[in-house]
Amino acid sequence: MSKSTRQQFADTMLAIGQENQNLVVMVGDIGHGMLKPFAEFCVNRYYNIGILEPTMISMGAGLAASGLCPVIHTIAPFMIERAFEQIKLDFCYHKLPGNIVTVGSAFDYSNLGCTHHCYGDFALLKTLPGTEICFPASAIEFDGLFRQSYQNNFLTIFRIAGASHDFNFKSEDIVFGKGICVEEGADLTIVATGPQLKMALSARDALHSRGISVEVIYIHTIRPLDVKLIRASAEKTGRVVVIEEHMRTGGLGDDVLRAIYDIPNLKFHSASIPDKFVTGYGTYEELCESIGLTPEELLISISNWFDT
Amino acid sequence: MIDNKILNKDLRKKIVDMVIAGKDGHIPSAFSIIDIITLLYRNVLKFDAKTPEWLHRDYFILSKGHGCLALYVNLHRHGFITDRDIEMFCKQGGILGEHPDRTKVPGAEASTGSLGHGLSFAIGIALGLKIQGLNNRMFVLLGDGECQEGTVWEAANVARNRRLGNLCAIIDWNQSAMQLLPVDDMPKKWEAFGWNVHVVNGHDEEEMLDVIQKIEFNKDGIPTVIVAKTIKGKGVSMLEGHGIWHHRIPNEQEYKLIMEALS
Repeated sequence: MSKSTRQQFADTMLAIGQENQNLVVMVGDIGHGMLKPFAEFCVNRYYNIGILEPTMISMGAGLAASGLCPVIHTIAPFMIERAFEQIKLDFCYHKLPGNIVTVGSAFDYSNLGCTHHCYGDFALLKTLPGTEICFPASAIEFDGLFRQSYQNNFLTIFRIAGASHDFNFKSEDIVFGKGICVEEGADLTIVATGPQLKMALSARDALHSRGISVEVIYIHTIRPLDVKLIRASAEKTGRVVVIEEHMRTGGLGDDVLRAIYDIPNLKFHSASIPDKFVTGYGTYEELCESIGLTPEELLISISNWFDT
Repeated sequence: MIDNKILNKDLRKKIVDMVIAGKDGHIPSAFSIIDIITLLYRNVLKFDAKTPEWLHRDYFILSKGHGCLALYVNLHRHGFITDRDIEMFCKQGGILGEHPDRTKVPGAEASTGSLGHGLSFAIGIALGLKIQGLNNRMFVLLGDGECQEGTVWEAANVARNRRLGNLCAIIDWNQSAMQLLPVDDMPKKWEAFGWNVHVVNGHDEEEMLDVIQKIEFNKDGIPTVIVAKTIKGKGVSMLEGHGIWHHRIPNEQEYKLIMEALS
């Protein structure tokens, strides 16, 4: 079984923390088991600070102002939504760099209900100048993206996916800000982010069986977005589908559409979370099914694109 | 009781002149804290105005950002900002607005204005200094109304439990908060959070200095709060209290009366 992205987060913190004395990790009462090695090796640089996310964010900005490199970690809605103004003012307006690592985005905590869901985070964060947003859905992605960006001049948000796409990227494939062309094709472009790459590949297989050639682009960096790669593909195929675990409003789909809207005779479809609360329970997979994030639903949505 | 002695008349006049020229500003809020900030910059804080990011400086954050005129006149007095900066208050192209801006104003450690951010940001800096083994001190000035924000108490809780003895908070206890929530025993609240608490007259420099000089700043100790009893608008009777003057520009007649009172 491959290493989880979350375990890789802890391992990467330990590895970098031993090299870089400025790395400080603060958590909001989660992840202390995984981060115990970091806490032991990086004495005085690990803080389970308490259940007070707005202050944890402000403190992270203060750590950055004192010259340190903060990594702040807890559950997505309590940081991105509850502490949004602290992110906006204390990090972004101050132009202070740092790193926020979330778990529990979208509906990863499926049975915990809407209080623990967060599927508007891309939209919120994209309103803030000075932010970068990644969505690593495998261990190798997290490690590569974090190492490439954690010391830059921006606030970088790493949305750790609960599930994985189970696709094996090579470490050299992972370049911050660059999409990955997983497969070349001629008739349709599927742009997928996070674990939904798995659905994209299932849809690709089904479409191949009908003689449709699919180009699959994987996006691990939501911002800055690799617009060049996406647009070149869209100009080639003229048909674009975006698959993501984010609300339709403000998600990757919006950015992709903005990048390609002027391509003549373009067909576009967004497979995403509808603009309403996801109120059901069950497994992650069952919730995906309940909102139509399945290859079958996707094929129905674009069935008339290839009739002629 | 707070006596009627009025300190820092020249700086109070300068604040009023800035408000007249800039056609905006919170005079009473600035008058409430001008004596505290003036004392800090003259007798307490270590700084180098020519190198505002000097590594060995003490940090000062004005968390109640709307009192910024009291900060600006002191930054000007000590050479952080220029005559031209003062003239351009609230004007297009200037660096001084109605809240301090870390990205524009030399010496401003935080961009404040949205209440409830300054102490949390300050304890991050204080923790960062502690982690790095540095001896810089952290001062942060909050309003009593601001202390209605929940984040203030989040930060108070963390500061005590993380033993940020390099931190001194000062509360501008001018009773603004009690207009809305009258049960407001400020010293007891901070005592309940385990801080060292001192109550002083915020318009008596000697008393404040005596307390500050006795604080044992260290990297592993109990943080200190100074609850400063102040009068909003202190120095000009017509401005004092919680009435219409909070965010009002004096007209010509009122300006004359204010200046006469400060003569």
